[in-house]
Amino acid sequence: MALHRPRLAPLLVALCLAITACGSPATGTDPPGGPPTPTATPTAATDPPAPIFPLTLTDDAGREVTLAAEPQRIVSLAPSNTEIVCALGACDRLVGVTDFDDHPPEVTEIEPVVIAASVDVERVVAAEPDLVIAAGNEQTPTSVIEQIEDLGLLVLVLYPETLEGVYADIELVGRALGRPEAANEVVGDMEARVDAVLEAVEGADPPLTLYEVFHSEGTTYTAGEGSFLASILELAGAEPLTGDAQGLLGAEDLVAADPELILLGTASYDPALADPDTARSTVAGRTGWSELRAVRDGRVVPYLEDIVTTRPGPRIVEGLEALARAIHPDRFE
Amino acid sequence: MSATQVARPLLLGPTLGRTSLVLVSGLGLLAAVSLAAVAFGTTGVGPGDAAAIIGHRLLGVGTVTWPASSETIVWELRLPRVAAGMIVGAGLACAGAVFQALLRNPLADPYIIGTAAGASLGAVSALLLPAILPVAVGAWLGIGLVQLLAFAGGLGAVVVVFGVARGHAGTPVIALLLAGYAVSSLLAACVALMMFLSGDRLGAVVSWLLGSLGGASWTRLALAAPLIVGSFGILLLRWRKLNALLLGEQQAAHLGVDLEREKRLLTALAALATSAGVAISGTIGFVGLVVPHLLRLAFGPDHRLLLPAAMVYGAALLVLADLGARLAGGIPVGVVTALIGAPFFLWLLRRSLVVHGR
Amino acid sequence: MAAEARDAPAIRLTDVAAGYRGSAGDRSVLDGVDLEVRGGELVAVLGANGSGKTTLLRLLAGVLAPSRGTVELYGRPLGAWTRGELARSVAVLPQSMELPDGFRVSEVVALGRIPHGRRWFGADIEDARAVADALRDAGAEDLAHRPVGELSGGERQRVLVALALAQEPQLLLLDEPTLHLDLAHQIALVRLLERLRRSRRVTVVAVLHDLNLAAVFADRALLVHDARVVPAGRDDLAIDPLLARRAFGVAIEEALTADGRVVLTPAVTRPMNEPPAS
Repeated sequence: MALHRPRLAPLLVALCLAITACGSPATGTDPPGGPPTPTATPTAATDPPAPIFPLTLTDDAGREVTLAAEPQRIVSLAPSNTEIVCALGACDRLVGVTDFDDHPPEVTEIEPVVIAASVDVERVVAAEPDLVIAAGNEQTPTSVIEQIEDLGLLVLVLYPETLEGVYADIELVGRALGRPEAANEVVGDMEARVDAVLEAVEGADPPLTLYEVFHSEGTTYTAGEGSFLASILELAGAEPLTGDAQGLLGAEDLVAADPELILLGTASYDPALADPDTARSTVAGRTGWSELRAVRDGRVVPYLEDIVTTRPGPRIVEGLEALARAIHPDRFE
Repeated sequence: MSATQVARPLLLGPTLGRTSLVLVSGLGLLAAVSLAAVAFGTTGVGPGDAAAIIGHRLLGVGTVTWPASSETIVWELRLPRVAAGMIVGAGLACAGAVFQALLRNPLADPYIIGTAAGASLGAVSALLLPAILPVAVGAWLGIGLVQLLAFAGGLGAVVVVFGVARGHAGTPVIALLLAGYAVSSLLAACVALMMFLSGDRLGAVVSWLLGSLGGASWTRLALAAPLIVGSFGILLLRWRKLNALLLGEQQAAHLGVDLEREKRLLTALAALATSAGVAISGTIGFVGLVVPHLLRLAFGPDHRLLLPAAMVYGAALLVLADLGARLAGGIPVGVVTALIGAPFFLWLLRRSLVVHGR
Repeated sequence: MAAEARDAPAIRLTDVAAGYRGSAGDRSVLDGVDLEVRGGELVAVLGANGSGKTTLLRLLAGVLAPSRGTVELYGRPLGAWTRGELARSVAVLPQSMELPDGFRVSEVVALGRIPHGRRWFGADIEDARAVADALRDAGAEDLAHRPVGELSGGERQRVLVALALAQEPQLLLLDEPTLHLDLAHQIALVRLLERLRRSRRVTVVAVLHDLNLAAVFADRALLVHDARVVPAGRDDLAIDPLLARRAFGVAIEEALTADGRVVLTPAVTRPMNEPPAS
């Protein structure tokens, strides 16, 4: 199935575009050569297509959102949401993003409505969106979501807690944007790559791994217990050393657990840790860390893909791949 | 006695003329600042559009040449924010002046007997509640659980402080100050603990504590404004009692002030105005402390001028601070008031030391 | 005022006991006090420290309720007076008072009009007249426009008197008004009180520590001693030295001035003008 999809996908997409009852230039035109032949898809264009909109969806916060028509002006309040929209081919519909968005490169040209992690409601309104995609679990504060809704705008809240959650979000947004087939393709791609990783690390002994999210003055933040990051680490073939629900790991617990491998996510932001030797000596210099197995065996790895590993969007698979390579380099020669 | 000395009329306090001048100037300042705050923001909706939109909404003049989003921005975002700034700023400055007179302490501010700590506890509880109970904590009466609990917390703390400070012979001022400090510290410790346990919601909590007018809406104002303005009305009429308190409690009693009743009434009114303000905007600092001092320096301690001036100039300061906060990238307004207020306070202190030697 | 009230004494205390609640239970500072002061009298109250002079004043001012007995002012028991009525009839000059910074003298004196406040905003003609009269009677007219922060001790005292007079009281209570004043100002104050009694017909009750000053200007002197209030004088003497000796616990000497007045001094073993024994 995964091998066949890429060839079918463009035809399916074109068919969907042809039958979608929406006259916006963003949805594209018929492919050259006229409409595709009916054999390309079981649902031939014999019945009049059921109108997709108005459409009622349930978002990750359990809210019911009703879209009257296909949204053409989208505001995204989180980088992961932006990436999802662009992965679905609707990048040109974005009229507002955050100042932290960086992928794909063209989004840096779009006016930010979130400055320094603070949502500027005035800018959101000025962008005249017909759909606002927010981030759940207070990453976009509930009060801001309520305020935007009270002003008459539609808000869709995304909060994936697992990889499956990311797939579900991509499909949800795909339906919301009238591009379900694009969503299927993206998810299919992701599933294929994930399968490849799982195959590659199958049977390998999962090392007890500390993924360092943040460290300062004896306080270490790592993957929280039951968190998204922990599940990704497991998929990548590691046994994650987790902290409490917020990811806080006490120094004593760290030493008692004695991880075999340390991945420095902080190296993605701190150039001083990018060099493996400097990283090793810095980490060894921390109180109590020099006795850890990982430090003695020299298994302290600067990890530079933190952004994609902690951004629950389409590129999470890149993060998973990078993690797997860092954890089981021998499987990826 | 020389002829000029005889001719000079006796000054018995601020005259109606002088008071009017001060207040009209203040209102002019307030109007200018408010117009600027409505005319400018982080988007391109400028003074011309803003004026046209307001004219259209209020008076029905002009034809609609602007997009609906601009109207939303001016009428639903900027205007309520300016109104909130006025009301909260006025309330805080007025409450600060009242507490400074009542407690005869120059460091008194609206929060001194527990309102900030109590309101913070209420608000933080409301912010963290959804994480504990799967309760639909949506808007209650259009206000919001956070606002309701902040208001209740602020008033509740004052009731506790007053109860603790009460003795046989009434409620001594020193007891109020100490009880206020103790209760505030205790409640602040609880808030700190909750912040530690807040996890993902820490950002929301910190945001509230720093204070912001961003959540202002016509619904919230409709509920808070009558409380604050009502308090103003009664407080303004009590200027004689407040002036008597300037001579100390004993002498005020000899001048006919019922000390216990006055303490209760003034505290209740000031706490009401403060709690209603905090419910809208979080704990914004410095306005309630610095504005009364500055006005006293400029216009004297007589409350018949000080109270209304505090309202007007407090309103203007907060609206201006909010405009600055918005244009500076959405920083919390409490940061701006601190940045303005702290240097002013230091200057006041230096001036006092230099001029009076104490 | 009604006929009975006109005949009634300004002050009447009947079997009054008063005290404070302390940590060891109730403490009666005064017990079984019977006292009458007629309108227009100038009465001095004397006594050792802690004898209860201030308690007596507080009873008369209506800020302290007696634990037993009745306090009547102008024929009416204190309980029948409202706070406002009391403030319009009785003025108190405390030992010391902080004057609020930022006011001019006339504004401070105008605070004395608070019990009479009628207008919702400002002062009216009556208030202006009362303040002007108060400043004049207190001898503080020349201070009217000065900021209160610049006043000397004697000047402040005059302003405080003016403040009390602005209330237009019938009864003026003074708590050790000469405490911080030099000789000249002490005399000036005493003369002022005499003038006031004539010009305004106020009744004055003043707590004094100077026996001779009291003897000179008061119509009569009262001694607070042993939780009672007794007349300080005997026969022609304004102050009985034996009584004074008991009350103050020191030996009192009588001396005669050149014009035949009796003055009392504490008896000390070595007079100032005697050279030390060599």
